[in-house]
Amino acid sequence: MNDEEINQFGKKLRAAIPPIRRSELARDLWPDFLQKMRQSPSRIPWFDWALAALAASTLIFFPEVIPALLYHF
Amino acid sequence: MNQHAYLRAYLAGIAIPTPFLLVIITGFCVARYVYNIPIPIERVIMFPMAVVPNLWGLWNVLFVVLHPRLKLPLGAHGAILPCLLAPTGYAAARLLDFPIPGVVYHVISIGLPVAIILYYLVWKHLVGYLNAVLGIA
Repeated sequence: MNDEEINQFGKKLRAAIPPIRRSELARDLWPDFLQKMRQSPSRIPWFDWALAALAASTLIFFPEVIPALLYHF
Repeated sequence: MNQHAYLRAYLAGIAIPTPFLLVIITGFCVARYVYNIPIPIERVIMFPMAVVPNLWGLWNVLFVVLHPRLKLPLGAHGAILPCLLAPTGYAAARLLDFPIPGVVYHVISIGLPVAIILYYLVWKHLVGYLNAVLGIA
């Protein structure tokens, strides 16, 4: 590939990729980011609440399990 | 944040049990030295103090290693850990001649399912949150 071909190739490449006209954002993204951060990331499903209630009630009725659990935590 | 994924997984894993252990060990020491409970807790205190947090960290590293292949949810992965910890803790207690109270044998059938439930919830929500914060999830 000689210099002329390389120049032609460069022109075609520049023509195929349009230049970036606007380098600044159209609007401020920070409020959207703050809103996203304030939203609750996830909800705890009812099944997990049921499991937690089951575990808590078991520990209330069988408190002798607690030391063994603490040892293994 | 794309580097050292295993180190971040280890740190996320040990972050939950490590501060909690301060409370547990304080309780054990108060029971032993203030209320003079006749159980030599100091013989086995090493297990919850050193082995458990490290196992949590390594278990989270294992999750990062295996998750692309097994696709096991983090809660289920954490729920397996008590099945490993229970015999390990029992073996440690026996090796160190710790007098295991008889009531432990009576409540093991209740304690293990409760431990599995608690580990499932803690791993799913707390460790999962830390993994997400550290960019592992």
